[in-house]
Amino acid sequence: MNLPNYFLADLPPEATLSPAMIVAACDTLKRNREKYLLSRSTDEIVKILCEVAAEWLQPDNKFRRHALELGPAQTGFSVATLARGLDEFFRRFTPENFQVMLAQDLGTDTDRRFWRGPNLLVHIAAGNLPNPALLSLTLGLLTRSAQFMKCASGAALLPRLFAHSIYELDPKLGTCLELAEWRGGHVALESALFAGADCVTATGGDETLLAIRSRLPAKTRFLGYGQRVSFGIVAREVLREEEISKVVARAADDVIDWNQNGCLSPHVIYVEERGAVESDKFAALLAAELMQREAAEPRGKISVEESADIAARRSMYETLAPHRGDIKLWSSPNSTAWTVVFEHEVRFRFSPLNRFIFIKPVPDVAAVLQGVDEIHGKVSTVGIAASPEKAKELALRFAGWGVTRVCPLGQMQNPPLTWRHDGRPAFGDLITWTDFEL
Amino acid sequence: MLFGCRGKPATNKHRMNTESSNFATRLRELIGNRQSAIGNSQFSELALELFALQFKCNPAYRKICEARKGTPQTVKHWPQIPAVPTAVFKELELTSLAPEERTAVFHSSGTTEQPPSRHFHCAESLAVYESSLWSWFSEYFQLPISNFHSPANGAGALEKLAIGNWQLAILTPPPEQVPHSSLVHMFETVRQKTGGAGVLASRAGFFGKLAADGAWALDFEATLAALTDGPKLKTQTQKLILGTAFSFVHLLDYLVERDLRFELPPGSRVLETGGYKNRSRTLAKAELHALIAERMGVPRKNIVCEYGMSELSSQAYDSGIHPRAFRFPPWVRVQIVSPETGCEVAEGETGLIRIFDLANVFSVVAIQTEDLGIRRGEDFELVGRAQLAEPRGCSLMNA
Repeated sequence: MNLPNYFLADLPPEATLSPAMIVAACDTLKRNREKYLLSRSTDEIVKILCEVAAEWLQPDNKFRRHALELGPAQTGFSVATLARGLDEFFRRFTPENFQVMLAQDLGTDTDRRFWRGPNLLVHIAAGNLPNPALLSLTLGLLTRSAQFMKCASGAALLPRLFAHSIYELDPKLGTCLELAEWRGGHVALESALFAGADCVTATGGDETLLAIRSRLPAKTRFLGYGQRVSFGIVAREVLREEEISKVVARAADDVIDWNQNGCLSPHVIYVEERGAVESDKFAALLAAELMQREAAEPRGKISVEESADIAARRSMYETLAPHRGDIKLWSSPNSTAWTVVFEHEVRFRFSPLNRFIFIKPVPDVAAVLQGVDEIHGKVSTVGIAASPEKAKELALRFAGWGVTRVCPLGQMQNPPLTWRHDGRPAFGDLITWTDFEL
Repeated sequence: MLFGCRGKPATNKHRMNTESSNFATRLRELIGNRQSAIGNSQFSELALELFALQFKCNPAYRKICEARKGTPQTVKHWPQIPAVPTAVFKELELTSLAPEERTAVFHSSGTTEQPPSRHFHCAESLAVYESSLWSWFSEYFQLPISNFHSPANGAGALEKLAIGNWQLAILTPPPEQVPHSSLVHMFETVRQKTGGAGVLASRAGFFGKLAADGAWALDFEATLAALTDGPKLKTQTQKLILGTAFSFVHLLDYLVERDLRFELPPGSRVLETGGYKNRSRTLAKAELHALIAERMGVPRKNIVCEYGMSELSSQAYDSGIHPRAFRFPPWVRVQIVSPETGCEVAEGETGLIRIFDLANVFSVVAIQTEDLGIRRGEDFELVGRAQLAEPRGCSLMNA
C-alpha cells in the first residue's frame, strides 16, 4: 500500500510524535475548516459521503482492496468478515438515510444558521472494530468540524483508508481531517490535543472514559461511550419448521458479524421453550450453521489470550456436561473458530466472543429479565426474532426496562444511521444551538 | 464392577483408601529421597497407576473420564490422562476421599461472590503435600532437608530444623485465621520445618492479619520492626520473607509513603507468589522486583517467584534469573498446550499450562490451568491468566 503522507498516521512507524506536532496539526485543521468546510452545504457533504461510500462498495476500489488485503493481518478479521462488515456499513450511506437521520436529530428547524458544530472535534477511537470510528468521522463532517482522530494502537488502518478515500474525492474536505495513532494514556500528546478541542468523543471502558474526562478543560464537551453488552431473544412462535432455517441464519449473522467484537453483538441468545422446534434443537442448528459458514466466512486468527479464554471456557462446559443433564456443547474441531454452549442456567453470561455464543432456554420473557438483571443499565441492543405483535410487545417491555436499542435478530451489529448511540442522538449531541426567540 | 476403595461398605473407614494410602506412602518415600531422579518411564508408570486409582476412587473424575473416553483401558501414556480444568473444582467434588474422611479443605483465593475451588484433604494427603512442598522449597532455598519418612498424620510430628542465622517473616495471616489457604498451610509448614515459633520471637513469623472485610492486611509496624531488628532500620540477620505479590505491594507502598528504605543483610531472600486479585494496585513483575530491591535491599537474583494453586500439591519456582522460567519438582510434569488444537506447542511458543502432579494422590493427577505459559524446555515462563468471565465489548481495546 502506497498512500501519500496526508495524515500523521501515514508517517513511518519510526517517526515520533511530539506535542508541538499535535498543536500545529490542530491549528492547521482549524484554518482549513474556516477556508474549506464552513461554507459547504449539508447536501454537498452528504453527496460526497455517498459518493465515497459508493466507491467503497465497488470490488475494484483501491481503498477497499487495501482494506481487504492488509486488514486480515492488521485487524484479525478474515477477508469475508471485513468485506461483509464494510458492505453493510457503506450500504447505509444514501441521501435518504442521511436526510432521515438529520431530520431526527435536528427536527424541522434545520436552518443551519441556528446550529453549529465544534471548531475542533476530537475522537478517541476504540480498536476493536472499525465502523464506529468511520461513523464518527462521517458525523463530524456533517457538523462541519475540523476533526482529529486518535486511533488505538494498531487500529488505524481502516480509519486511515476511509480518510484517504475522502481526501481523494475532495481534497479540501480531506484537509479538515487528521489521524494519528499512539498508545492511549500518552499524557503529553493528549494534553496538547485536548487543549485545542471543543468537543471530545471517546469509546472505551469506564476507567478509560473517567481518565479522559478528568483531563479535559471544563468548557470542553465530553461524549463518552462506555461499555455495553447485548443479547438476543427468539420467541416461541418463530420456532417452526417452516421458519427455523431463516431464524438460525439470522442468529448466525449476529455471531459472525465482526466476530462479536462490538457492544452490539450478542453474548447470549435466549430461546423460548415449548416451540415446535425445541431450544436445544435451535442450538444444534445454529452450530451446524456456524460450521457451514466458517468455510466461506472464516473467523480468522485471534490472539493466544483470546483463544485460551475460549479453550478454558469450552473445557469447563465439556467437563461439566456429563454431570449435568442441562449442558450441551458444540464446537469447531481442532480450532476455536466457533462454539455454541446450551445451558439452562438463565443468568446472563459474558461470552469470550470471537464466535462463542450461549443459548439459554427460558419459559418466557419474564425469565429473561430475571437473567439479565445484573447487567441492567449496561445493555445496548436486544435482537428479537418474533411475530410482529410479539416483537412490539417485547420492544416496549425492554424499553421500559432501560434497553436503548431493540432490533431484528440478524441486524444487531448493523444499526441504521439514525441509531442513537447509547440512547443519545449521535449527531445531535455534537452540535450547539442558538435559540432565536424574536 | 468396582473393587477396593469405596466399592464395599467399609467397617473400618481407615481401610477404605488402602490403595491410595499405599501410593501416598511410596510417593513420600520417593520425594524424600532427593538423590533419585524420577525418569520418564518411572513417572509414566506412577502416573498411570495413580490415574487408574483415581478412576476407581474418585467418582466425579471417573464420570469425566468416561465421557472423554479416557479410561485406564484406553490411556497408555501419561499425557493422555484426562486433565480437569481448575474451574471445575468450584462445581464438583473432585476427590477420592469420602465426606467423613475429609479433615481439611483448601479453597482458591478468588472473589468472594464466586464459589471457590475446593481441594479436599485428609492427614495422609496433607502429609504428601507437606513432603512435596518442603522438599522442593528447601532445594530452592538451599535449606537443610527434613525427614520425610515421619509418620503421616501430624504436623506436630514434623521435625524442626535449625537454619543457622536465617529469620523467617511471613506476610500472610496465620493459618488459624485462614484455614482454607493452601498457601498459608505451605508457609506454616516451612515455618515449622525451619525452626517453629521461635523464628521471629513473639511474632511467630506471621505478620499478616484478616481485616474486617476478610481481606488480607499487614501489621506494618510489626513487620518493619522484625525486618529491621529494631527501630533503627539497621538489620543483622539474614531474612527469608514469604508473601503474596499484593502483600509486598502493601508493604512497599507503606515504605514509599513514609520514605523508608532498608538494606536486608546480604543473602536475604524473598519469595513472592500469586496475582493481585484486586487486593492492591497491580505492578508488573519487573517493577515489583525493582521496588523490592530499592526499598528492601534484596537484589533481583534473590527474589524467587512461586507458582502454585490450591488444586495442586506441588509448586514451581523460578530461578530469579532472566528469563524467569518456572520449574516444578521431578514428581510433576508440565505441558504447554495450544488453546486452538489442544496439542503440545513447540519450544518457545505460548499455550495453556497443563500440570500432572503425582502429589495430587487423593484428588486428580492431571490439572488444566487457565494460565498461559511459554514452553522453555521442561520449564515454562508464566505469561498470565486468560481473562475469564471478564466483560468485553467496545472496550479494553483502545490502548
